[in-house]
Amino acid sequence: MNSIIPQISVGLSIASILLLIALGLAIIYGTMGVINLAHGDFVMLGAYTVWFLQKQFAMNLITTLPFVFAFVGAVGWLAERMLIRHLYQRPLDTILATWGLGVIMQQAVRLLAGAELRYVKMPDFLINPVHFFGYEDSAYRIFIFALAVALLIATYVLIYKTEFGLRMRAITQNRDVSRCFGINAGRVYALTFAYGAGLAGIAGALVSPLKSVAPDMGTGYVVDAFLVVVLGGVHSLLGTVASSYVIGQADAVLASWSDDTIAKAVVFLGVVVLIRLFPQGLFAMRVRRS
Amino acid sequence: MTSQRQALHRLGGYAAVCVLILLVPLFVSDGYLLNKFARYLVFGILSLALSLSWGYAGILNLGQAAGFGLGSYCMAMALKLRTIPIQTGAGGLPDFMVWNNVHTLPWFWQPFHSYAFALLAGIGVPVLVAFLIGWFVFRARVSGVYVAIITLAMLVVINLVIIDQQRYTGGFNGITDLTTFKVFGVEFGAYSVSTYYLAAVILTLLLFLGLALMNSKTGLILQAIRDDETRVRYFGYDVANYQNFIFCVSAGVAGLAGMLYTLVMEFASPTFLAVPISLSIVIWCAVGGRASLLGAALGAIVVTGVQGSLSDSKTFLDTWMLIMGALFIVVVLFLPNGLISIVDVIRDKRERRRLAAAAGAPRRTAVVAPSRSAAR
Repeated sequence: MNSIIPQISVGLSIASILLLIALGLAIIYGTMGVINLAHGDFVMLGAYTVWFLQKQFAMNLITTLPFVFAFVGAVGWLAERMLIRHLYQRPLDTILATWGLGVIMQQAVRLLAGAELRYVKMPDFLINPVHFFGYEDSAYRIFIFALAVALLIATYVLIYKTEFGLRMRAITQNRDVSRCFGINAGRVYALTFAYGAGLAGIAGALVSPLKSVAPDMGTGYVVDAFLVVVLGGVHSLLGTVASSYVIGQADAVLASWSDDTIAKAVVFLGVVVLIRLFPQGLFAMRVRRS
Repeated sequence: MTSQRQALHRLGGYAAVCVLILLVPLFVSDGYLLNKFARYLVFGILSLALSLSWGYAGILNLGQAAGFGLGSYCMAMALKLRTIPIQTGAGGLPDFMVWNNVHTLPWFWQPFHSYAFALLAGIGVPVLVAFLIGWFVFRARVSGVYVAIITLAMLVVINLVIIDQQRYTGGFNGITDLTTFKVFGVEFGAYSVSTYYLAAVILTLLLFLGLALMNSKTGLILQAIRDDETRVRYFGYDVANYQNFIFCVSAGVAGLAGMLYTLVMEFASPTFLAVPISLSIVIWCAVGGRASLLGAALGAIVVTGVQGSLSDSKTFLDTWMLIMGALFIVVVLFLPNGLISIVDVIRDKRERRRLAAAAGAPRRTAVVAPSRSAAR
């Protein structure tokens, strides 16, 4: 029992980060059919924003979060307006364009902030472990988990309970008819993209104290997050949540048995085999296709 | 008639480029330059490999570097085992294994004592990996963007495993200190003319073989799959088989390029199958022209050639990647079929003018968009 609880906790925190990244990806893909390979670089951008704010203004990680969300979201908004909206007719090319965008962001950060690893401080009051039910756990991991749940609920409310979410869902179902009803599709797309990017930025901010911050840190995350999306299917929040949990836990458990790399390889093979069995993802819903 | 003439023109273009490439050593005798040029040719082969699957069959393989790296490692393993004993440590073990406390040669290294096996493996291993991934992916009728993501994930995983298994693969350092490849009495040193010719001849052969393949029935079906997968399926063809076939061919060609790359670079490294090189392959292919074998190969040769002739400093390389990213986006947005399609545009203009002159009046109907399909 004593070794299972911490392992679940590690798995939960991996899953929480994955969830935030995959949520953005899934929303962007689900709504506009764009595969955003620059998503990992939004994560990286979020981490660097925290690093910059801490260095320049000595800000606490938690107080930087709103700025991170706003800044990375704004970059996402710009990317959609300037680049991606020209490619809605060519889905395969959005992969290329966003990959190019990712390279540009990575190189820009490398030139501006330097290629060396950067480190971000954890908030002081979250460093000490907390005790509950006789177990102790890292307070920061609990914080990550809580924030991920909060953002998940916020996303749910945004999609299913607000006017904006209604428009978004309408466009997902049928873009042309929605436009006939006076919905400004371009605006919804841009905001959706910005929101997804902002979530990725927050995820980057949250991992920044746990791992070193480097210009190419995004690649690993985007691949993991895509596996989550592929496994979960793109059209359901529940699918994304469940598959981030599955992959996060699998990662943690396998890593404790052998090491990180073998864990990644096994998870990847597992996903490939599952795709053969469930091509639509594990949690597919019937939706209109293309 | 015109299509026959176009085909002739194309063959002429291919032949001209190949002759040019083969003539280079007559004018360049500097080993360092020849080595550089041979590297560009290898990249050309690699880019051609992606063009086979992406440009002609619509399978965007973001993990193309995986085959390249695996091929490179197979070659390096064979060469490493033949390195003179001083460098390979006690009992014929590669030096990095000795450092990592490996006492016997692992079973999967054993067959690499034979060149024949290594050459087969350099192509066979990438093909096998591609076949397994392809079997799962294409049978499930996964296509388009999902293939791109899964191949990218495959690349990242293989790369991680090779770095992680330092005891058997040399980890971050890769496999270095290799002997010179020698077969039938010919030495293929990194700076020799023979290696350049080897790369040039292989590129030439692949260009023409690729062209022949794509004009065969299989090639036509592949292009039809690219344009409309469902329709081809309704015609009764087994789409997944065709897709997997070209996916494997492409991986095999990439493996061949990887083996050549080991000869040219004199080592194998995990950077050969890292994400940046895979990204570069896609960029070369897109910039040159994904739906043209020659375009893709030239794209790689020109882009890496320009890069190599400018500078090798660190800040330059960083800025260069920035420029490449921007160029890539511009090409994707405005010239989906790459720079080689400019030739088509000019030819169409000329054709239009000729037809107009012949008919005595401008005729819009004669204009056929030659490359709309590939842009999808």
